[in-house]
Amino acid sequence: MTAQLMEVKGLSKSFGTMKAVKSIDFSIQEGRCVALLGPNGAGKTTTIRMLTGLLAPTAGEVSFRSLAPGEDRRALIGYLPQTPAFHNWMSGMEYVVYAGRLCGLGVSEAKNRAKELLERVGLADAAKRKLGGYSGGMKQRLGLAQALVHQPKLLVMDEPVSALDPLGRREVLRLLKELKSETTVLFSTHVLHDAEELCDDVVIIRSGEVALQGSLASIRSQHRQPVIELKLDEDNTRGMDWARAFVQRTNSGEASYSWLSEAELRGNRLHLTAAHMDQARQALLEELARHSVPFSRLEVGYSSLEDLFMKVVGE
Amino acid sequence: MNGANEVYRGTHRGAEAPRSATRSSGGAVFLTLLGKECLELLRSFKLIWVPIVFAVLGIMQPVLSYYMPIIIEKAGNMPEGTVIEIPAPMGSQVLADTLSQFGVMGILILALACMGIVSGERNSGASALVLVKPVSYASYILSKWLSIMLLSWGSLLLGYGAAWYYTWLLIEYVDVVPFLLSFVLYGLWFSFVLTVTLLFSTALRSAAGAAFTSLGAAILLTVLAGLIPKYMAWSPGALTGLAYQAATSPGWLQMEPASWWAVITALIAIAALLAASVVLLKRAPARD
Repeated sequence: MTAQLMEVKGLSKSFGTMKAVKSIDFSIQEGRCVALLGPNGAGKTTTIRMLTGLLAPTAGEVSFRSLAPGEDRRALIGYLPQTPAFHNWMSGMEYVVYAGRLCGLGVSEAKNRAKELLERVGLADAAKRKLGGYSGGMKQRLGLAQALVHQPKLLVMDEPVSALDPLGRREVLRLLKELKSETTVLFSTHVLHDAEELCDDVVIIRSGEVALQGSLASIRSQHRQPVIELKLDEDNTRGMDWARAFVQRTNSGEASYSWLSEAELRGNRLHLTAAHMDQARQALLEELARHSVPFSRLEVGYSSLEDLFMKVVGE
Repeated sequence: MNGANEVYRGTHRGAEAPRSATRSSGGAVFLTLLGKECLELLRSFKLIWVPIVFAVLGIMQPVLSYYMPIIIEKAGNMPEGTVIEIPAPMGSQVLADTLSQFGVMGILILALACMGIVSGERNSGASALVLVKPVSYASYILSKWLSIMLLSWGSLLLGYGAAWYYTWLLIEYVDVVPFLLSFVLYGLWFSFVLTVTLLFSTALRSAAGAAFTSLGAAILLTVLAGLIPKYMAWSPGALTGLAYQAATSPGWLQMEPASWWAVITALIAIAALLAASVVLLKRAPARD
């Protein structure tokens, strides 16, 4: 399951003078679930639209390993846009059959597939209703059904759950969890929690460039840093004074602690990024005892993907 | 959950067979697209009201011509004793008048009915979902074009046929040859104008813009052909005049070489406009 499915090389897109995507490279391995992460406006949607062939890139190319020469790469892709738009006068069943026929399925095959998929996404009861009356969550699920109708090698989704209410979100996430064991999935999101929950690999992009990419596990282990959060008693000036002095001392380089790499005071919380967890814990406790700092909570843990994301994207 | 996975995997293994068939079934994809367009025309009731409007327009002309003396007499507010002599209209003239009715009202209705055919889907994003599938851009445009052609030729045949029938009933029999010839020439003019509408529907965001640009182009071409017939006889704008001549001349119209050119340029222009629409669509299949 490690064969390469798709490779993106030097993909760029400019709109006039605005460079939306600046030479992006990444590849997708077969069977993986890849999240394209980035803040709003980073170029996620533009990248995805170029992958699906809806937007011609200014430069660069997208290539599929398994594509026979002359074959349309669109045959391998199933695409679900952020807000899928359908023909409101069609029924759910009609639309999925239509999508199947467009992908080259025969009449009876398309009908069977449509029935199976609508059942699967939980729209069997609404199959005969007109799409104009579908809710946002139902449309998203129908979008998933029509994207899967031709058993694509790669399912591409643009912000699949961003526009949904918590219930619809749960439902779609549950479906995605099932699907990722069956096909290769690429989705974009700005919700880190979803990415952490679902994906194997992440590609973080920032203002049109790849800021960081790799498997979630390796990124975690490489960039994971021990962090200590100390909550101080706000009313107690002694504690706050100590914290301010401590932060100032470390930042000015006046006193460098080998166990500490970063210190920051946010309100009444002191955030410490440690170099070595065990040393840090020991040294900090000694420091606290020496100055008899009154604190209300001390939390020791590791930086989350969100911290990493903020660090990568926020620069 | 596992059961569902099994089903999916089971069918997945057999998925190679239909995919290899996919490449050879471009025709089936085109028919699917065309079927969808026709179903849309039907469900949006365009396939019903457009022909009805044409039929009403077509019937109105001979009926009005027939009753004109009575209408003037009853509603004319003429002083007592006025004698009005209105020569009985010629059947062929009534048909030509019907055509000019279609040339104004008919083309307006058709252009309004078709103006959003591409831009509507593009603006909503519905076209994106179709064009990420292995569907050729040409068959997308051609299916839309063919549905417009079915609607316009069908409506024109119904309306013009009704005019011909009522002219026969009320006024006089007009030979089939001038009727059919003028029908084909006018149909070609309609096809040309509506292909321009299709192009602008692909090029412009606004549907109304597409309708009025193409109507403007149609008016410009007819006016030019009327003003300087010597130099514009080859343009598609000359087709309307040619159709009136065909309707009023007995038997086959003696077409001059320049008139043949009007037909040929119209056909070439339609092909070129379609090709341009495909290119425009290819450049930006969907908008955000």
